[in-house]
Amino acid sequence: MTKSIPIDPGEARRPATITAPQLPANAWRPDPAADAARYGSEGLLRIYRDMLYIRQFETMLEHIKREGAWNGIDCQHGGPAHLSIGQEAAAVGQCVHLEPEDFIFGSHRSHGEILAKSFSAIDKLPDARLLRIMESYMDGAVLRVVEGFTPASADIQQLAQAFTLYGTLAEILGRATGFNKGMGGSMHAFFPPFGVMPNNAIVGASADIAVGAALFKRINRRRGIVIANIGDAAAGCGPVWEAMMFAAMDQYHTLWDDDLGGAPPVLFNFMNNFYGMGGQPQGETMGFGMLARMAMGVNPEAMHAERIDGFNPLAVADAIARKRATLEAGRGPVLLDTVTYRFAGHSPSDASAYRTREEIDLWRAQDPLASHAAYLLEQGHGDQDALDTLLDEAQGQLRRVLQAASSTEHSPRLHAAADIAGLMFSGGQRARMWQGEPEVLLPLEETRLKVTRNKQRFGLDEAGRPLSPLRALTFAEALFEALLLRFYDDPSLVAWGEENRDWGGAFGVYRGLTECLPHHRLFNSPISEGAIVGTAVGYALSGGRVVAELMYCDFMGRAGDEIFNQMAKWQAMSAALLQMPLVLRVSVGMKYGAQHSQDWSSLVAHIPGLQVMFPATPHDAKGMLSLALQGSDPVVFFESQRLYTLTETLEPGGVPVEDYQLPLGEPALRRAGDDLTILSVGATLYRALEAAEQLQQRHDLAAEVIDARFINPLNYGPILESVNKTGRVVLVSDACERASFLHTMAANITQLAFDALDGPPAVVGARNWITPPAELEALFFPQADWILDTIHERILPLPGHQPTTCQASDEILRRNRLGV
Amino acid sequence: MASAVLLPKLGNSVESSLILAWHKAVGDPVAQGELLAEIETDKATLEVESPADGLLLARFHEVGDEVEVMAPIGVIGAAGEDIDELRPKSTAAAAPAPPTPAMTQPTARIPSPAASAGSLVRGRPASSPRARKLAAARGIALSGLNGSGPAGRILERDVQAALVGQPRLTPVAQAMLREGGYNLPPRGSGPRGRIRRRDLIPAPTPDDMQRVPLRGARRVTARRMLESLQTTAQLTLHAHADVRALLALRQRLKAGEFGPALRAVTINDLLHYAVARSLPAHPELNAQLADDHILRFRHVQLGFAVDTPRGLYVPVIRDADRLGLQQLADEARRLARACRDGAIRPEELEGATFTVSNLGSYGIESFTPVLNPPQAGILGAGAIHLKAVQENAVVAFLPHIGLSLTIDHQVLDGAPAARFLQDLAQRLTQIEQAITPAELSGTNETP
Repeated sequence: MTKSIPIDPGEARRPATITAPQLPANAWRPDPAADAARYGSEGLLRIYRDMLYIRQFETMLEHIKREGAWNGIDCQHGGPAHLSIGQEAAAVGQCVHLEPEDFIFGSHRSHGEILAKSFSAIDKLPDARLLRIMESYMDGAVLRVVEGFTPASADIQQLAQAFTLYGTLAEILGRATGFNKGMGGSMHAFFPPFGVMPNNAIVGASADIAVGAALFKRINRRRGIVIANIGDAAAGCGPVWEAMMFAAMDQYHTLWDDDLGGAPPVLFNFMNNFYGMGGQPQGETMGFGMLARMAMGVNPEAMHAERIDGFNPLAVADAIARKRATLEAGRGPVLLDTVTYRFAGHSPSDASAYRTREEIDLWRAQDPLASHAAYLLEQGHGDQDALDTLLDEAQGQLRRVLQAASSTEHSPRLHAAADIAGLMFSGGQRARMWQGEPEVLLPLEETRLKVTRNKQRFGLDEAGRPLSPLRALTFAEALFEALLLRFYDDPSLVAWGEENRDWGGAFGVYRGLTECLPHHRLFNSPISEGAIVGTAVGYALSGGRVVAELMYCDFMGRAGDEIFNQMAKWQAMSAALLQMPLVLRVSVGMKYGAQHSQDWSSLVAHIPGLQVMFPATPHDAKGMLSLALQGSDPVVFFESQRLYTLTETLEPGGVPVEDYQLPLGEPALRRAGDDLTILSVGATLYRALEAAEQLQQRHDLAAEVIDARFINPLNYGPILESVNKTGRVVLVSDACERASFLHTMAANITQLAFDALDGPPAVVGARNWITPPAELEALFFPQADWILDTIHERILPLPGHQPTTCQASDEILRRNRLGV
Repeated sequence: MASAVLLPKLGNSVESSLILAWHKAVGDPVAQGELLAEIETDKATLEVESPADGLLLARFHEVGDEVEVMAPIGVIGAAGEDIDELRPKSTAAAAPAPPTPAMTQPTARIPSPAASAGSLVRGRPASSPRARKLAAARGIALSGLNGSGPAGRILERDVQAALVGQPRLTPVAQAMLREGGYNLPPRGSGPRGRIRRRDLIPAPTPDDMQRVPLRGARRVTARRMLESLQTTAQLTLHAHADVRALLALRQRLKAGEFGPALRAVTINDLLHYAVARSLPAHPELNAQLADDHILRFRHVQLGFAVDTPRGLYVPVIRDADRLGLQQLADEARRLARACRDGAIRPEELEGATFTVSNLGSYGIESFTPVLNPPQAGILGAGAIHLKAVQENAVVAFLPHIGLSLTIDHQVLDGAPAARFLQDLAQRLTQIEQAITPAELSGTNETP
């Protein structure tokens, strides 16, 4: 969808043959002399040392899980431990040529990758930098424990290695002195200062997050490449495919500025240990034969894919060095099918019923650690004493680390509820993620702002008559202004989604942005809702601010994991190490039937870690979007399509031209009254106001109307103040009634204002049906009449009122009995 | 096949009974004929037996519940049997009406919520928390209020309506009232009757009070007496009768002059006898008011009040006008004992056409008996006392019995009632002539 690249039918219809490059598999050939020259004995021994540490670390955990002790040290661990014994060469080989600023994202089986990448970074970082990292991390809390058990003779690198081992182990054991205060645990431990980015317990989930991190590096001209370490079974996950599509878009070469450097530098590294838990992709659960083949479907370069020998650290290191060059040249993405094998089970509960002893023995006979040791001895890079000394050192180091990490005195757990609650939101308010000149194509004065700023800012004329939306600022334009002003202030801010650019967003909110923003700040994405959100998560946790858009909130189902597990949870799982300045715009539709007209605000309200906003007036739309775009927390921003062309008729001053932010979580009083409170969420505000007017006209009842505006966080203070006064409350939203967030609000009001209630808080939601055709929507979405009927039936009989719908208590029973 | 345990129907006028005790818990095995529960009707206690062998699968009512006769109170059957069919409608887990098809033509079918009867929550009228709070603060009893909310729920405005005309309280008085321990006086000493702190009446502490559950005969009496006063037009006439002859006869009876069988006849028996013999001549009084007519009875079904530790019972002497003195006395003695022993059968407490209540033994000279509807008359007998009577210029103090007759003025007027009293007094004064010689001679034949 870009005017600059025409689609020629002559070309499209011409007979042709599609070819794919031949992909190498295990093409690496050992060349001891060359390797000796390339790495030196010291480098080759260091590879052995790192593999040995991983093997010892994982073996220690295996003993702890099975026997509750290792080398005479008692340690109980209730959480998971997915061990990578056997996969050491794949991890260490990968990190040989990685720089500290390169990122790796991993999986539930990434202990080895954490140690390998950290040890690699420690070898490459200057001492002063290492010290600064350790001293500043959690204000030195981890370092203080490590210094307590590290011999004074240790140098800074050794201290940093102990720091890595301890921080990782304490995290696995759920201690407050772990890298993520124990909130991540075994499957999510990570340490960004060494380029160890979040490891993910959802299979394949690191793929799109890694693409987002690579976009962050490309868009903001940062150094380094990004590797997604995911398992072979992740090849079957939709979001992984979406991530590869996202990473391989033509536009990086056809539309983006050349000086950015091309495609995002992301490497999809499939740690192919041949098992997805107990399922076997090769021969059983998939059909690709060799995993690398899937790259052939992605782009003409087949992602420069290779199968490599993950049992040989030098083969892996060589591959990474070559692929890194491809990525740095902007010719990514790259796919590697890294053959490896886990000797241990999937987890401690795994009896390996799905594979034979013989198969395991065949792989054990080629043990990468023993093979590399033999190679070192053969090639004279060290003698057995040297290797034994390394083993003694590793065991001594791990003994000290385990003693400290298993001690509750040195390594306490988070215990105060406030500690954990305090991790849920970062709560930052920062206009710019960093200082700098935002990249734009036009001066601000020449943007569409010159049109919108001159529109009437209030939607009623002096006589109170409504103005045409062509003359007064609309809701959609208010959102545009908020975005535009933030884009011109925050250099990190980017936006993507479907139809975001030339079309101006499906509902025109982005109209005018295409002209003033370069492609890398606003671009069309593939229709990959999972990856739209997943990449945004990666961009945000790397340090940038991003607006992702899903067009309809009905499409959130396609991005379920990315919203519910990634966007929502990384701040807390990182113990507030990461921030998530991600705003996910979703619209609430109508007239488009069952899959395009649902208000799913209640769904996200249920997920801890998300902020949920739902403005109902142009003034609020601008002030709330601007608030979201200055925060550091993930926000799902709901916009009702009913409102896009509405003008501001409720805020007396209209919509300010300049940037402003509403206070977080504060509901708005829209109409004052003493007899009844109507609490609305989203576009139902206007139906609530209509009902309030009818109550006044026909029944002489003064209804107070409150627009919640926020779903989470939400200050109940003004709501309770109102209900304490009126004693009666009806709640209304376009979400289906069953399990609607309104019920949470009603339950809270009931508990907090019980003695003031003159009737039960009554919920008016959409029917628990699919959305019917446009012509029948009045039967489905709450109408002003429903509010009156509900008041009449359940709260306060209205003399002379003739209900048009059945809102009686018996009807609630009947509907629930039928489940509709 | 599960079978329902029905509340037995005991006599024609018994509409409901109270459950006094359950002797089996749900899940207990029971044999046919085994004691399941005890119930109490208007006046009698009865046992409910199991209709079948099996397990007690459900109890639909608990102790203290008032249940309509012939309604199921429980189910006997095999473990796991579906008993929904047998469940009484009122407790069938809120199975409201057939489903109403939504939306098609809703307007016609939707009832106004205010039209429905006031609902009860745990025996109290439904009320909003706000209404309760206001009522508590202002000392208003919710039980007397009409709820204007859905299903008759008492709303704040209903309490406010009740407060109109109520004295205002000072804030201090309000706070004291809220904290408890005080009752409201009807009016206070402040300006315009405002109730001040010193006007509040200290409420009795729990130690000063005893909470007596309203059940059994007390509960029935309470309901019927109120009903009586609310549904009849009661008029009481007082008279006296000279009982010199009565006392003399009683002495002679006691002395065995008329045979041993009549020795136990009491003054009350003689009174019953006189009443039973007088009434047939006054059919206006031996009558009942029905919907649009009056029923007059040829014979006298004579109820008489018996005081028992469990309350007031009124057993009935059948066809009292046809019984001889001794039969009458024997039957009265048997019924009174049955009442005191709790062995009285419900049908023995039903069907009186006229009632006599005697408080004479307590020294009460006269009182106003309360009718037992649908009867049209009740006679109260007072104590025998000396009354100054002028005979031939001589004032003599002669023993008299006080007679108080309450009638339902809807059924008859004062004059016919007075004539009956006059007739009765005459009969008492000349009691020996009123009793057939055959009875007094001991032949003891039914007239």
